[in-house]
Amino acid sequence: MTVSAIEVAPDSVSSLLSEVMERSGQNLPACYQCRRCAGACSVGDETGFFTPDRLIRTILIGDRTAALNNELVWKCVSCYTCGIRCPNGIQTGRITETLKKMAKEAHIDSPYPKMVHFDDSFVQSGLRWGRVNETEFMASYEIKNSLSLLKQMDFRGVADEISRQIKLALSMLKLRRMHFGFLSAKGRNEIKRLHKQFKNKH
Amino acid sequence: MELAYYPGCSLKQSSSLYDRQMRLVMERLGVTLKELDDWNCCGATSAGKTDDFLSIAMPARNLGIAAGSGQSELVIPCSACYSRTMVAKHYLEADREIKETINLGLSKKIVSDVKVLSILEVLLGLIESGELARQLVFKPKGLRPACYYGCMLTRFPFPVPVPDDVENPRGMERILEAMDLHPLEWNCKTSCCGASSAVTDPEVSYGLMAKIIRDALARGANCLVTTCPMCQMNLDAYQDEVCAKHGISERLPTYFITEIVGVAMGMGIKPLEIDRHFVDGTKLLEELERYESEQ
Repeated sequence: MTVSAIEVAPDSVSSLLSEVMERSGQNLPACYQCRRCAGACSVGDETGFFTPDRLIRTILIGDRTAALNNELVWKCVSCYTCGIRCPNGIQTGRITETLKKMAKEAHIDSPYPKMVHFDDSFVQSGLRWGRVNETEFMASYEIKNSLSLLKQMDFRGVADEISRQIKLALSMLKLRRMHFGFLSAKGRNEIKRLHKQFKNKH
Repeated sequence: MELAYYPGCSLKQSSSLYDRQMRLVMERLGVTLKELDDWNCCGATSAGKTDDFLSIAMPARNLGIAAGSGQSELVIPCSACYSRTMVAKHYLEADREIKETINLGLSKKIVSDVKVLSILEVLLGLIESGELARQLVFKPKGLRPACYYGCMLTRFPFPVPVPDDVENPRGMERILEAMDLHPLEWNCKTSCCGASSAVTDPEVSYGLMAKIIRDALARGANCLVTTCPMCQMNLDAYQDEVCAKHGISERLPTYFITEIVGVAMGMGIKPLEIDRHFVDGTKLLEELERYESEQ
């Protein structure tokens, strides 16, 4: 479940706000709630109370719990429309990307784990081989999905998901849009080493 | 003319037709594409959502390879790869420290600035030089196209210099107009198709795609034209399902810009691999009319 209301929490304002500002690179206090972002949001029909301006407000009043777990953070598709409409140049798409990472670090599970699995599988595949192998990455995504659905005893969900993917795979096969060769970049270890170094330092 | 070329993972797999078209079209227009040696995945939007360091380091390695390639310009036809590379460039220029850290770990370092070009910028340059006009043979006169840019060609998470209008880009329209085609004005050219949510959250993404398809149809379009392999795949592979769920009976073939340019230069459906679409795009291209020679 995501949080559906926000609360004023003066004690955590400065730590929450400064962390989000630093990591997202966005100047949140410049928001004056004109709500152009709210009107522009591609997933506005899906996010209930949480429009981009209200997400910013949530952070400004210090409600960490609501900021890290709400419909907008999880449903945002990073289309960046809110940011180009903002008269103050605040890119809320960057804020949701930052909050996704902060939620993960705080061990908050997304109510929509598929999106998390997708991004994780994609980056892991790109990092492991240097290039994303679509079939391997989709297989890894579906395994992660199935495992979390099985944990909830959602057998129907597993069957639906697998049958949808098989249908797509078959039509891709017919059009020769399924790839079976293996892609890799020889220099992939350069990125792996840099990544490890960076993680150890931070 | 020579350009460094970054195809990216999609163009080597599910959208290999786009890579093929890119090579054929550019060759005909006198552009030699030099594929970056041993390039790696750009991280796409997934890296931006999960790991800020990787989202810079992955494109950075490619920028280093490009800097060592001897070319001054790098063309990236995939919108996601183009966007992530532009964003990484922005970061590296703004933060010397991270650039130095990354450069230390790269065998090919970012020693010079290579200009990153979208496919539209390259084609627009070839229109300006008159090269495209010289190559035009057959006009696909049955097309009533709506140009679809999606998100990543014009909107960035940081203020990077965008070579087109953010709210109403016209690069693709200008290319089609140069081929004497008449792209339609419409509302959804920069709307979002939902990207990976077509896989992870179909309800949301099908709703977004239905809005796009409906608006294009209401304007009288009979096809969409795009540059992004992600948008093309979504609007092509899921179109039947989207339309079934949202009560739309018509279908819109979703072309890569390279397919329209290729056909207009007299290339066939087969060599361009246009027969690899989910929503058939071959019939609309059968109606051809010879361009009147300007000479």
